[in-house]
Amino acid sequence: MSRTTEPLRIGILSFAHPHVEAYARSLVERGIEVVGTDLPPYDAGTQRGAALAERLGIEYLDDVDAVLARAPHGVIVTAENARHRELVLAAIAAGAHVLCEKPIATEVGDALAMVDAADAAGVSLMTAYPVRFAPSFRELVARVRAGQLGEIVAVSGTNNGKIPLDRSWFTNAAAAGGGALVDHVVHCADLLDELLGEPAQEVYATTNRILHADRGVAVETGGVVSIAYPSGVIATIDCSWSQPDSAATWGGLTLEVHGTNGSMRIDPFAAHLSGYAEGGATWDAFGTDLDGLMIDEFLGAIRESRAPSPDGSVGVRTLAIVDAAKRSVRSGTPVGVLATA
Amino acid sequence: MTQRNDSLRVGLIGAGAISHAHVPGWLALGAQVTVYSEAGAEALAGQYGLEVAGSLDELWQAVDVVDIVTPTATHAELALAAIAHGLDVVCEKPLARTAADATAVIDAAGRAGVRLFPAHVVRYFPEFLAARDAIAAGRIGRPAVFRFRRQSAAPQSPWFFDDAVSGGIVMDQMIHDLDQAEWLGGPVRRVFARLRRGGDAAAPVVAAQVVLDHESGLISHVHGTWGSPALPFSYSFDVAGDGGVLRFDSVRDDTTRRALPPIDGGGYLPETSGDESPYSAEIADFVRAIRSGGPARVDGADGVRAVRIAEAALESIETGLPVDLVPAGEATDATTDDALNGARA
Repeated sequence: MSRTTEPLRIGILSFAHPHVEAYARSLVERGIEVVGTDLPPYDAGTQRGAALAERLGIEYLDDVDAVLARAPHGVIVTAENARHRELVLAAIAAGAHVLCEKPIATEVGDALAMVDAADAAGVSLMTAYPVRFAPSFRELVARVRAGQLGEIVAVSGTNNGKIPLDRSWFTNAAAAGGGALVDHVVHCADLLDELLGEPAQEVYATTNRILHADRGVAVETGGVVSIAYPSGVIATIDCSWSQPDSAATWGGLTLEVHGTNGSMRIDPFAAHLSGYAEGGATWDAFGTDLDGLMIDEFLGAIRESRAPSPDGSVGVRTLAIVDAAKRSVRSGTPVGVLATA
Repeated sequence: MTQRNDSLRVGLIGAGAISHAHVPGWLALGAQVTVYSEAGAEALAGQYGLEVAGSLDELWQAVDVVDIVTPTATHAELALAAIAHGLDVVCEKPLARTAADATAVIDAAGRAGVRLFPAHVVRYFPEFLAARDAIAAGRIGRPAVFRFRRQSAAPQSPWFFDDAVSGGIVMDQMIHDLDQAEWLGGPVRRVFARLRRGGDAAAPVVAAQVVLDHESGLISHVHGTWGSPALPFSYSFDVAGDGGVLRFDSVRDDTTRRALPPIDGGGYLPETSGDESPYSAEIADFVRAIRSGGPARVDGADGVRAVRIAEAALESIETGLPVDLVPAGEATDATTDDALNGARA
């Protein structure tokens, strides 16, 4: 890895995940050369492909091969979840470091293959978990590591959002790997992974399809996951798409930690101006640009030839929790989490 | 001043922390309150101007209603004794340490024709009542995912940590929100729970998380923490349906803000708020029900049901497996039917 001083060039493969907009904006703001391509199908009414690239101010190329032929230093994969493996492996084969949208894959086996391929090629694989860059989470981690909370006993996480119906693949079991369980467990699972430093041991989960049932959604829209860790810590994650369409903001994430000496709760997306305007209640978020910090880590790791954090292995461990949750829902019982190390 | 009401003669059994929450409600109704307790009766009586009974037998003779505010494991025995004396019973939650004992109490009350009210005070907190009314009015549409959270520093009395006596945090603290889960969300059919203890005997902490599947398809989860001494009391709920979401967090109550220097004597003021305390509201509701013969907001069957769900959570914690419940109503009815059949036989 000797290309550390030249200006970086980043490729983007697929604009299926709406997070692509924030990532592209961060790259453009940082003066990075960006080339991207999109892969159909496109939902009616969504801006995709060359039109979206033009709006984001990035160069658009016809296909994946064309992007990889530019020899990008790094590639961001923002495809449908089930397509991550194919595109990540292609980027790795082209010698690029990869930032893969979460969840890293739909099957643990795919995720492991991606991590192995990156290791074998000597490139890095990063999982897009921006919430762990939140100052409130960094403070929580620092206080826990300084012993201020004592021994951690229990953690309660919530990650509730609006249903992402404008991109229909999110509610397509084949393309997404599932519904709310797949979309909204992994962020909290990543925070738990970083906080506890141990892989989950056992998972119980229950889901339902009451929210948005009138729209013919064929995946779970509500769910709660209960996790046991080897140290004895217990945790839950509420992953429901329970933020109504009428809400003034997309949703949010909270993590509450109870220890033997103290407790702490974080709500990294709480900072906002609230008010009322035409159309009702308003929510103007402000605060640290978490996507920007994550992009800085991706770029910094490439420049400095070091492993990024969060890496691909935490992508695997968090996906293993989703995998266990899906198996628990099917069996109705607690199930063991696949060992991924 | 409230007029003394000699027709309301109340026997308070117990003089611990929760007695201070109940006594003002009785006094506000002008009740004549007599207290019996193994410890602390004289001090409580002195503070509030109550009578003291030297024994339970003395108490039974002097009152029409008893209010049991003792540690959990004694509730059933005391309630059964009061019922045997033909007295109406208010009993601090949980109604009994086990669902079997709680069922025995309501069956006995039914046979004796006396009223029985488990004091599930959270049903009288206005925010929970507002949620129930809003849900009933269709504000959130079809209920989908509910969560409840309740936490405080660990209680100081060691019996709370003696599971045989109290049932621990699930039976003592989380039973409030387990009751709310059914009161707001309908019958529960499946219970899964985890519990973790930390700290040591001198400074124990405990947290539990209960996941409930309701017969309607609703999922609820209930979080209880008895944490470090630094953890202030708070509670919250978030009830989401296919038509909306409603949230409450006691920490966000911004009705008053105070910035005062330390005040000699702690700044005690005569009651100024005009809001009726939920404890007084429940006692007033129970007295109304006794006098009218009508229902109160909580009845004995509700008390049994709450204990049954808490017991299922404890079983799940013990076995590590989910526990299926007999649908609400059926279990109680079956037991009652058995009792009636037994009485007929």
